[in-house]
Parts: sequence; C-alpha cells; structure tokens
Amino acid sequence: MFTKILFATSATKESDHAARVAFNIAGSYDAHLDIFHVPGVPSRGYSQVVVDVKTKERVDVDDDYLEWVKDEIRTYYAKYLENGLRYDITVAIGFPAREILRQAKDTEPDLILLGGSTGDEEEAVYKKSMAGTTLQKIARSAKCPVLVVNRPAASFWGGLSNITFGTDFSKASDKAFEFAMKVAKNLDCELNVFHALDITSGATGEMLSQDEIEQKIREALRMIRGRYESRLKELKHYSMDVWEGIPFIEIVKYARDIHSDLIVMAHHSKKTEKADAILGSNVEQVIVRAGCPVISVNR
Amino acid sequence: MPEGKYCNKTPVNTPEEVNFLLSDTSGNQYYKEMKNLEVDSDLLWATIQKTLKSRLRTWLEICAHCGMCADSCFLYLVNDRDPKQVPAYKIQSTLGEIIKRKGKVDNAFMRHAMEVAWAQCTCCNRCGTYCPHGIDTGIMFGYLRGLLYQQGFVPWEMKIGAGMHRAYRAQMDVTNEDFVETFEWMVEENEEEYIGLTVPVDVENADIMYTVNAREVKHYPEDLAEAAILFHAAGENWTVPSEGWEQTSLAMFAGDWAACKMQVESVYAAMEKLKPKRMIGTECGHAHRATVIEGPYWAGRENGLPPVESIHYVEWLAEALREGKLKIDPSKRIRELVTMQDSCNYVRNQGLKNATREIMSHIVEPGYFVEMSPNKEHNFCCGGGGGFNGIGLFRKQRNKGLEKKRDQILATGAKLVLAPCHNCWDAIRDLEEEFKIGIRWSFLKPIIIKMLVLPDHMKPEE
Amino acid sequence: MHEFLTGIFFWFAITVCLVGMLVRFVLYFRGLSWQLDRVAYKAHPKAGMKGAFRSIYKWLIPYGTYGWRTQPFMAAAFFGFHIGAVVVPLFLSAHNIFLENKVGFSLFTLNAGVADFLTWLAVVCAFFLILRRIVLPEVRILTTLYDYFILFIALAPFLTGLTARYHVGDYSFWLNLHIFCGELLLIAIPFTKMSHVFLFFASRAQLGMDFGIKRGGMKGTKMAW
Repeated sequence: MFTKILFATSATKESDHAARVAFNIAGSYDAHLDIFHVPGVPSRGYSQVVVDVKTKERVDVDDDYLEWVKDEIRTYYAKYLENGLRYDITVAIGFPAREILRQAKDTEPDLILLGGSTGDEEEAVYKKSMAGTTLQKIARSAKCPVLVVNRPAASFWGGLSNITFGTDFSKASDKAFEFAMKVAKNLDCELNVFHALDITSGATGEMLSQDEIEQKIREALRMIRGRYESRLKELKHYSMDVWEGIPFIEIVKYARDIHSDLIVMAHHSKKTEKADAILGSNVEQVIVRAGCPVISVNR
Repeated sequence: MPEGKYCNKTPVNTPEEVNFLLSDTSGNQYYKEMKNLEVDSDLLWATIQKTLKSRLRTWLEICAHCGMCADSCFLYLVNDRDPKQVPAYKIQSTLGEIIKRKGKVDNAFMRHAMEVAWAQCTCCNRCGTYCPHGIDTGIMFGYLRGLLYQQGFVPWEMKIGAGMHRAYRAQMDVTNEDFVETFEWMVEENEEEYIGLTVPVDVENADIMYTVNAREVKHYPEDLAEAAILFHAAGENWTVPSEGWEQTSLAMFAGDWAACKMQVESVYAAMEKLKPKRMIGTECGHAHRATVIEGPYWAGRENGLPPVESIHYVEWLAEALREGKLKIDPSKRIRELVTMQDSCNYVRNQGLKNATREIMSHIVEPGYFVEMSPNKEHNFCCGGGGGFNGIGLFRKQRNKGLEKKRDQILATGAKLVLAPCHNCWDAIRDLEEEFKIGIRWSFLKPIIIKMLVLPDHMKPEE
Repeated sequence: MHEFLTGIFFWFAITVCLVGMLVRFVLYFRGLSWQLDRVAYKAHPKAGMKGAFRSIYKWLIPYGTYGWRTQPFMAAAFFGFHIGAVVVPLFLSAHNIFLENKVGFSLFTLNAGVADFLTWLAVVCAFFLILRRIVLPEVRILTTLYDYFILFIALAPFLTGLTARYHVGDYSFWLNLHIFCGELLLIAIPFTKMSHVFLFFASRAQLGMDFGIKRGGMKGTKMAW
C-alpha cells in the first residue's frame, strides 16, 4: 500500500498525533519513513541566522546545530524507532511548506504525512513570509496524497473499515476517488461516496426553495451514480449520499454519522476568493474539524 | 598571529573555503582573529594612491564641514541626532583619517572603520543629493569598503557573500543545475493551473532574458513561478540562461571589486551567448544596481552600458500594463490604503520613480495609494540596505535603523506595503517582527497575479 | 608699502590665483576616471553636460533645491554671505577704478549704498555661519581650526575694508591691510579649502554628470535636486 512515507514533523507535542499515525502506518506496511523537520526559517536574507521554529529564537545554522536537531528528533521519537523501523531523519533550513515539497520532489514518497496546525498560526514563524498556511501549499502542490492528522481524535490508523470520499465532481476529485478505491480495495473496507450540496447564499446567490434543493440533490445523486457506480461495484460495500448545507460541515457530520475512520478529498487550487482568504478551502476546514484522519489528493 | 584561519586578507574562492568560513558559528572566531589582523599600511597607501583620484580627493578636500548632510541621513535621525552619525563626520573620521595618516593606521582603527562603513552607512546615497558641493558620501563609503575588504576588515557575512559569488557565481550556494531544476519544478507545480506554462532555458534571440536573485531559488521559488506566469500571460518570448542567471552581487556590499567583476561578467556572457533583445531582472534593487548600473564599469565597458538593454522588473511591468499585455480585473484592484517603498538602488540611483507609480495606477483603486513622505528619489533607505540586513554583528544597529521606515509607514496609515526590492522587503518584514505595527508586505508579482485576467489559452478546462 | 601691494604683489597674487585655478581645474577633470568613478563621461557627453548644468544651476538658486529648502536658516546665511562675497569684490567701484588704472578696463559697478548693504550682509551672515558652527552639535563636530582659518581669511578683507571705508583709525594702514588681506585670499584660493570657489563647479558638474549619465538621466528622469 505505502512503501515510502514522508512524515513532516515539528517534533513537538503538536505533531504527536500525527507521529502516532505515521509510525503506525510505517509499521503496518513495512514502509520506509522519512522523518523530515525544518528547524528554522531563514530570517535574514543572506545572513546565516534562522529563527528556530520551536524556541522562536535566533540561532546560527551550522553543521553542529543541524546534527543537534537530528539528535533531538531521534530522542523525541526514541520509543517508536526501537523496533526495526526503516527510517531516515532529514533536516533542512527554509520555509517549511517549500522544503517539504522539495524533499517530496527529491524522494518521491507515496504519502506525505503532516501534523495539524500548531494552533498559533498568527504568531508562528512559519507564516513569516508566505501567504497561506503550510498545509494549503503542500496540499495544493504535492504530487502524492497528503494525510493530515490534526485533532487528537483523528490520530488513529489501523483496522480501517469505513472510508468517506467527498466529491465535488472535479478532475481532482476523480484522482481522489481512484486513491480512495485503492485504499478500500486494499484494506477491504466500505467506501461511502458523498457530495455536499452548497446552499450557502455565497454559492447560490439566493436562498433556494426546498423544491429546488431536492431537485439539485437528485441531480447530484445521478451524477455520483454516473461517475462512480460502475467502479464502486468492484467493492463489497459502498454507499452514495448527498446532503445539503455548508459543505465542510456536512462532510464532517456525515463521516461522524457513519463512523468513518478516514476521509478522502481532493484539494482544490481553485477556490473562491473569500473562502481562500478567510476560511481556507473545504478540505482544510474538514481537516481542522474531522474526527478521523483526512487525506487530500490532488493528482 | 597577523593572518587568522578564518579572518585574513585572502578572498574566499571555492565551495570548500566558503564552508570552512561558515563552520565558524556566527563568525565568533573570525572576529576574535580580526583583533590580531595586521594592517598592511604599504598596500593600503599604495592602493589609495592608485585609486583615489580627483573626484574623491576633491570631495574630501572641499567638504565645507557645513553639516547640511546631517538631516539627510536616516541613521543620524534615528540615533537621536548623534553628531557622530553626521555623514561628513563618518567619512572624514574614517577614510579622511586613513588618508591623512598615509595609511598608517592600526588594527583598532580599522575595526572601527569597519563598523562605521557597514553599520553607519547603507550606501543609500541620499546625503549626496543634499550636499551643496555634490559630495556623495555613500560613494566614498563604497570606496572605503573596498579598502577594508582588501585588508580583511570585513563583516563575516560579507566575506561569505563575496565568497559565494566567487565560488558559485551566485550569492548563495545554488548551482546552475539547482537553478534550472528549481525553475522547472516550479513550472511543473503550476502548469495545471496555468496551461502552457514553461520555462524556456537557453533560448537564443529571445525578446527577454530573465535573471533572478539566488534567494528565490533557494528559499522562495514561488517567485520564479510567478515570473513565468506573468511572462506567459503577457505573451512574451522569454528565456532564462542556465549560466549567468544570478543578478545580485553581495560582493558589491562587501567591497570585493574583483568578485563584482566575475559575477557581472557571468551575466554579460549569458547576454552575449543568448543575444536576447532585452534583459530583465527580478524585483531586486541592488541586483539591478550591480548588474545594470555599476556592472558595466566593473566589466570595463566604456559606454557604461550592459551588452544588451537591461531594464528593471518594474519597468517591464509598467510597460506590460500600459500596453495591455497584462490585463487587470478592475474589480480585484487593491481597495485598502497601500503604500510603496522606493528602493534607493533603482529610484535614487536610476530615476525609476515613475515606473512603480504607473503600476500603482493600474493595480490600486484610485484614492487608496498613499505616498510615503519623503518619497521618490528623496525617500529614505528601508533601513537594511548595503548589506546591513545580513550582518549579525550589527543587528542592533540595523534594528534601530528600521525606525525611520517604521515611522514613515505609520504616517501613511497604510497596512499594506509594496516593496519591489528584496532588501527593502526583508527590512520591512523585520521591522514588523521588531515593532509589531500590524502591516503586511509584498512583492508586486503575487499581488498582480491575484488580479490578473488570464488569457483564455492559460485557463485550465473545468 | 602701498606701492608694493598694488604693484608687484598684486600681479603676483592675481597670477597665482588665476594660474592656480586653471591648473587645478584642468587637473580635476583630467583626474576623472570613467572606470574608477564609474561614470562614462566620454561616451555620453550630451547627457553629461545636461546633468552637469542642471546640477550647478539648481544649487545656485536660493531655495532652488530640497537641500536648501530643508534648511532655510542655513540657506539664508549661506546666500547672504556668498552673494556679498562674490559681488562686492568684483563690482565695488573702488575696485574697478583701481582695475581701470591698472589694466585699462573695468566692470559694471555697484552704487555705494548697495555695496555697503551687501558688505554688511556678508559680514552679518558670516557671523551667523560662525555661530552655527559653535551652536549646532552636528556642525560643531565637523568644525576644525582650519575651518575658522578659512572663514578668517575670507572675512578679513571685508572687516579691514569696512574699517577703511568708515575711516576708523589710520585710513592708509587699514587700506593697505585690506589690500594685503585681499591678495592673501587670492593666493589662498588654489591652495586651500578656498579652492571651493571654482572646485564647487567642478564637483557639482561631476555629480551632475553622474546623475545625467548613470543615475537616471539617460532613462529620461532628471534628478529632482
């Protein structure tokens, strides 16, 4: 299923949930785990000073510092690293999103695993130069699926039995569907294809009547059938559903309702202007809110 | 111990030597060794006699000591009008003194001169425009930096920076392969969103040869993608050279004139090889100054011009917007108070004040653009120019220096600052970090892409 | 004594001054180096001339530049002093009568009232310039004894001239001293900081060429001095 996993970590407790999942997956599939950490953001142009992401202090980068950081990571994850796990620890200086993508380009993993936001995004050094979050950038540009573990409740992988696949009928969603199919087949679990009909006034321009809503739900269901059902038949268990509401809320609700242990979605580079600025795309909102891991697939 | 292991008079030339110097954390050992570095007075005096010609000689001689330069210097203003920060005093007490003593100065004097040359002057040349005699202290400090560099009295980062240019022909350890590969990677990352995006490498006879700042390659390659998107959207026939793509020159800040020559010649060689109609550099101030304004002289070009017409990115942008090559969606124009930083290196030093303002007229809703005061060629340095941003030893002085720009920005009331210059952008970011005045800052490229009307052929099919 | 001062010493002083200025002027421009100064003087003479002319002209106008306008007090003292210092010696009627006798030609002459006014203006302004050096810390730190010496040799002809003019004390003594100070000033011009009376134009022209050729002039933007 997975042979090479890139686990990008802050090596702090914020990444603990993700770490649990990362080591869990690597163990289950005997995958190679590339533990990747960006200890500092270059803050001074051509100076050698970086801002340490943990202490937010300015440190001078040299080989000693990088070695020390690697040691710290090794110590931090010592209990996971004992039992014969194949792993590397890589440390790079730069803006996290960019460096994670660079590492992914070089090592071509089949899954990137990220911890959730560190909570204080406003203050975080990560934000110092790039518009948008680390997550946004990676989900948008990564060539492989990106698994994000944000909430402690989501830090569980193993015995997957129920997957929710959220679609918006885009090309990217088709890619995400392929991935969801692969996982479902591989782990022999149920795949639930779900579409949320956006009835927020921003999307529709006006308040829809109940008749209109139901009409649109029928249309969406037809589209799901047309697009996915022939493939879904390869699986033992599957379902198709359309709910109306605010998309990301509906997806989270739906997944909770049917006890999904994984959500698969496409990340959209095309976002409405406002959503981009204020809320982030649907998938990001789902990540923040979901009670299970979320995988974003773009290509 | 006259010559140290780290701190000595020999320039750094190879990647190994650069790494060795870098291995000395913060330059601690380097600066320790500097305390014992011998001054080669004969060499100093001989160099002065060879290179100090009538312009500088006359400047030093006729300075009327009138003090009219004082108020023109932002470092004088932010340091509570300390008389020791008066430009004329700064240069007379350093370069003037070296000449008076015919080069017979000691180690302590040279270290003091180093501090003055790199921590009390950003070579912004503002004082030059306020002196009745037309004495440009910034130019003299550039000259002094050259003397100090030759003697090994140069801040650690500057020595490394110049060494990078010698070793890599780039300000950072970015190789030609890294550059092309990163550019291609960036295009690949964006080609689904922008149909037809490519990076034409080494295409001869293109209309535009684009050159960049190595930091973009190293730390924020998005900038490369953005450049590609804008050229593509404007329908330009452009290319990047696989060699000679680095436009900047930290060697210029360091006073390493030999490295300046090496660096700029690599770009000119690319121009001569690819024969583009024009060269356009990225949104960087000192890069433009190094390659377009000063570069021809280092390379020994008697007409003072690069091999092909070379313009700054803002000139191209203004032209593309004017001619409609790039179309802006008027509903997406900036609708909040916004101000803009005039970079000393291409505004005061090449008069490009109108290009940026023309761009503003296209991308900002009328009434929302607020000028700083003073502005254009009279604008103050961002506070981090001339290498100031990068020198750890003088961080405190630099942070103090940011206050002028902070106050100028606050006075505009704008929360968004456009800074089409890497150094200014850095300094403005740092001032936000330092003083938390709640501003955002940006280059022009990302702002313009957000409001761009993409030509149909670039839109992805849905 | 008077014979000597108005005779051989006069010729000596005027020759030293004129030849000295000429030589230094030529040396200045010969010493400009396109590569060291990083200004392509020869390649773009037209742009250079334009820039040079603007740079000189703008700074000769009282309050004509940002520099002058930001320091109105200094500008007033400066122009008050320099107008007197240039106009009075050249156009004072007594000087021109002397010139007429000596070389057979004379210049336009000022009427006595204007001359008196300009002389006093120069002296008063010089006083403020000195005061400025003492009072303002940013000027005090720059000021050396040499600067006072230059001010002294510039002012001496005025002070002695005024004393003679109002017949205070021994007229012929003050007159001779005045002539001597004037001649001393002439001799000092090529050799001291007084050289700024002509090197001002050289230096301004150079920076003007710099801006005219390299720093925007050829891009079509004039430096807004």
